[in-house]
This record gives sequence, C-alpha cells and structure tokens, in this order.
Amino acid sequence: MQGSSFRRSSVAGLPAGSGSALPALLLVGLFFIVPVVALLLRSITDPEPGLQNYAALFGSGTYVRVFLNTFLVAGVVTAVTILVAFPVAWMLAIMPPAMGSIVFGIIILSMWTNLLTRTYAWMVLLQRTGVINRALMGLGIIHAPLPLINNLAGVTIGMVYIMLPFMVLPLVGTLRAIDPMTLRAAALCGASPFEAFRRILLPLSLPGIAAGGLMVFVMSLGYFVTPALLGGTSNMMLAEMIAQTVQSLLNWGLGSAAAFVLLVVTMALYAIQLRLVGARRTGGGI
Amino acid sequence: MLLDYDRLGWLRVALVGFTAAVAAFLLLPVVFIVLLSFGSSRWLAFPPPGWTLKWYQQLLADPTWIDAALTSARIAAMAAILAVIIGLFASFSLVRGEFRGRQVLRGLLLTPMVLPVVVFAIAIYAFFLRIGLAGTTLGFVIAHTILALPFAIIPITAALEGFDKSIEDAAIVCGASPLQARLRITLPSIRIGIFSAVIFSFLASWDEVVVAIFMASPTLQTLPVKIWGSLRADLSPVVAAASSLLVGLTLCLMIVTALLRRKLSR
Repeated sequence: MQGSSFRRSSVAGLPAGSGSALPALLLVGLFFIVPVVALLLRSITDPEPGLQNYAALFGSGTYVRVFLNTFLVAGVVTAVTILVAFPVAWMLAIMPPAMGSIVFGIIILSMWTNLLTRTYAWMVLLQRTGVINRALMGLGIIHAPLPLINNLAGVTIGMVYIMLPFMVLPLVGTLRAIDPMTLRAAALCGASPFEAFRRILLPLSLPGIAAGGLMVFVMSLGYFVTPALLGGTSNMMLAEMIAQTVQSLLNWGLGSAAAFVLLVVTMALYAIQLRLVGARRTGGGI
Repeated sequence: MLLDYDRLGWLRVALVGFTAAVAAFLLLPVVFIVLLSFGSSRWLAFPPPGWTLKWYQQLLADPTWIDAALTSARIAAMAAILAVIIGLFASFSLVRGEFRGRQVLRGLLLTPMVLPVVVFAIAIYAFFLRIGLAGTTLGFVIAHTILALPFAIIPITAALEGFDKSIEDAAIVCGASPLQARLRITLPSIRIGIFSAVIFSFLASWDEVVVAIFMASPTLQTLPVKIWGSLRADLSPVVAAASSLLVGLTLCLMIVTALLRRKLSR
C-alpha cells in the first residue's frame, strides 16, 4: 500500500516522500542556512575583500589567548564531568529502581531548571561572602575567602553542574548494555575488582565515555551564558568574545571570522562524535 | 561482580555515598535559590536574618517583569506550535520517505541543535537587521522555531518509527482516505511523541537566552533577557523570587508530564 500522499508528491517532480519536509526545509534554508552563509561571507568581505580578519584573529595575542582559554576550559570541564559522571552512571545502571528514580528525578529537575536560574544560584553561592566560603571558613578549613568566581574555578564548577546530566544519562545506557556475566567470568578467573574494572568495565564503557565526553567538549566550546557570568575578564571564552565583538565593538568582520572558526571546529568534532556513536551502535550488536 | 549491586561489598558504600553527594550537588542551587527568595537580606546573606515575601511583592508590582513573562509565554507558545506542526510533517518524510539524501536532510534539520547558539544568534541578527525583522515578535518567533524544530523532530520521529504503518494501511483498505487514516489512526498512536515535542519545543524557546539577547529591543524583551539584564546590573533578591517561580513552574511541568505520560501510554 503506497496509496498515500507520498505518491502524489512524486508526481509533482519531487522524490517520493520528500514533499512533507518542504516547510521545514524552507524554514531552515531561508532563516538558518542563508544567514549563516551570509555571515561567513562577511568574514572575508567586511570591511574589504580579503583574509585580513583571519590575519587579525590569529595574529593577535589577545585573540589567540581567547582560543587557548576556550580549549582549556572545555578540556577541564570535560575531564571533571567524566570523572564525576562515571560513578553516578555506574550506580544508576545497577541500583534498585526505587532508589535510582529519586536520583533520576533530581537530574531531570536540575536539567529542566532555567539555565539563568542555575547560573544565578552559583553566582550567589560562590561569592566572596557566599555560603561556600563562609562554610569553609566556619569549619576552619580556610582562613580567608577563596576566589571562587570570575576565574577558571567558577566557570568549571558552573559548567560541570550544567554538563553532568548530558554525560550521566547516555553513560547509564552504555553501562546497562554491558553483560554482567563478563564481570562474573573475570572474577571467577581470579581477577581482583580493580583488575576487572581496569580490564573489563572501563574498556567496555569507553565508547560511551568518548561519545559523551566529546559531546560535552563540543557544547562547552561554544557556551556563552555561564562562562560570561561566572568567568572573569582575563579568561574570556570564544562565544563571549564573538558576542562582544559584534555587539559592543560592532566589528562584524572579525566577529564573523571568529564565528566561522568556532563553527568549523564544532562541526568537525561533531562529525567524529557521530562516527563514534555509529560505531557503538554496530558494536553493540555483537 | 562490579555490575551486581548486591555483591559490591565495601565499594557499594563508597559509590552510593558518592552518588548521594552528586545528587545533593545537583539539588543544592535549586533549593538554595528558593530559600533565598524568602530571605529578608538585601545582600543575600545566608542563612537569612529573617523571612519575608517582599521580593515577591516587588516582583509582582513591577510591570516590566510581568510583561517579560507574558512576552516569553507568547513567543514560546507560537514557536512551539509552529515547530511541532512543521516538525510533524517533516517527520513523516524523514521516517517514511523513499528518497536519496534522507539522512542528509535529517542532519540538516537537526543542525540548529548542534551549532553553537552564538553563531546562529549573530547570523540571524545580521540577517534580520537587513530585512527589518530585528526586535520584532515575528523575528523572535522565526528564530525560536528554528531552534525548537530539532526538539520537535526527535521525539516525533522516534514515535513514528515505533508505529506499525500497516495499521494505517489497514484503515485505508477499509475505506478511509489517506488523510483520515493519518488523522484518526496514526496521530493518536504517536501522541506521546507529539506531547513530548510540545513540551520540549516550548522549553527550548522559553529558556532561550543568547538569540534573545541580540533580538530584544527596549520594548520587546523576554523573561531570560530581563533576568540577564538584572544579573549584569546587580544580584537583587527579586531575581531569586523570579527564579523560584520558574523552579515551581519546572516542577509543575515535570509532574504534569509524568502524569500525562502515564495516562497517554495506557
């Protein structure tokens, strides 16, 4: 039975079944592809044709520092997120469902809570006179307030908070797909728990860790809100720099060039991530 | 025995403890902001010296906050409706279409979710400046519909892939027109997917900050833009009150979603 409207669309000269995607294609083409391509063209034509914007971008110590800082923050955030997320995902994969659903509920609540609300909470918590500094001083662990905001520490705490769900949730799936028998077999063969972890559990969850980690890294590279509010002026990240260049300095050429660099890096890493997820899917069938 | 909860031994204590600590870390800012919004300290001292409702009174007495919330709701509702309708049509084509480049099309329609928002924000802002849509409701709705579209397409295609098309075909054999079969058989069957699409695409617009910062004008600003402005100016407890209301809204949404999902899946 192919008597649906699909056949009619092929009469109109369109490939079968593509017709109903037309509104979406028009919308995305006209208001996404066209503006993004126009922006990229602007990076080589504004103020005059040439590559001067890219020369300015890579020739200036200030901008190179922004690039390095962006990669540093994204790298640190990804590493910390993986370390924190793995044990949680591990427990969620094997916990009794009643206990697990409480943790899942908390993860969803934090994930669905407005991004600015969460960032605002961290701004207040991490202040010089904030709860965390007071608590640490009250406990006698530190004697002077730690600088926890407007620096790398603040951005890392805030970003890890936001990225955790994106790492935990897919990892739970990966860990649940591992057959517990493989570990029982390892134990029977005399492997210590540490050895079983290092040689069985970790390697088997590595595709999930890599895919999730790459996603967190890519998202962190282009993040705007949290770094802008929790970070300092001395360690600005790429997204904030792009926004500022365009909005305050009105330097569209330079801003477009920086946006193009961000786009290329993001898309390249995303392509790698897609291959990893694809590889995991086929690998899971074994 | 690392994947057997009952046989983890001492490791279980450590791992459960760690998981509880992370859960507390995830819950901390949400609870903290709600408590703070009732605290009487202008300087956000914690624990607060006393309890008060004055930040809520200030919030509700300020028409700019109410305006911003209504603007957000209006834009998010329109963007969600558009994204779900357009996404529904696109999903039929992505799941059932027989044409080359289907995967490319899917990738293309999902790209707005992957591309850093700031790149899209300045691109669409520049484009709208040129065609005169910057700072207009229409401009807002178009930009947010594009960002919401992937959040509509993903749950709908997932539901459609799980739906057996031969049921729809059976209805057509029994005399229903293709349109009738879709409206009365297929749509009700994928209702959970459509429902998720509505929620997620609404939230995608309601919470969106970056495009909104560029697109906002002095007369048209959404709630996130209003909060963003207040955060850059000072950390007034009024923001804590607004944030707490948003947390309350999130909780309601979670509960409604859970209940409706249970009801719909029956």
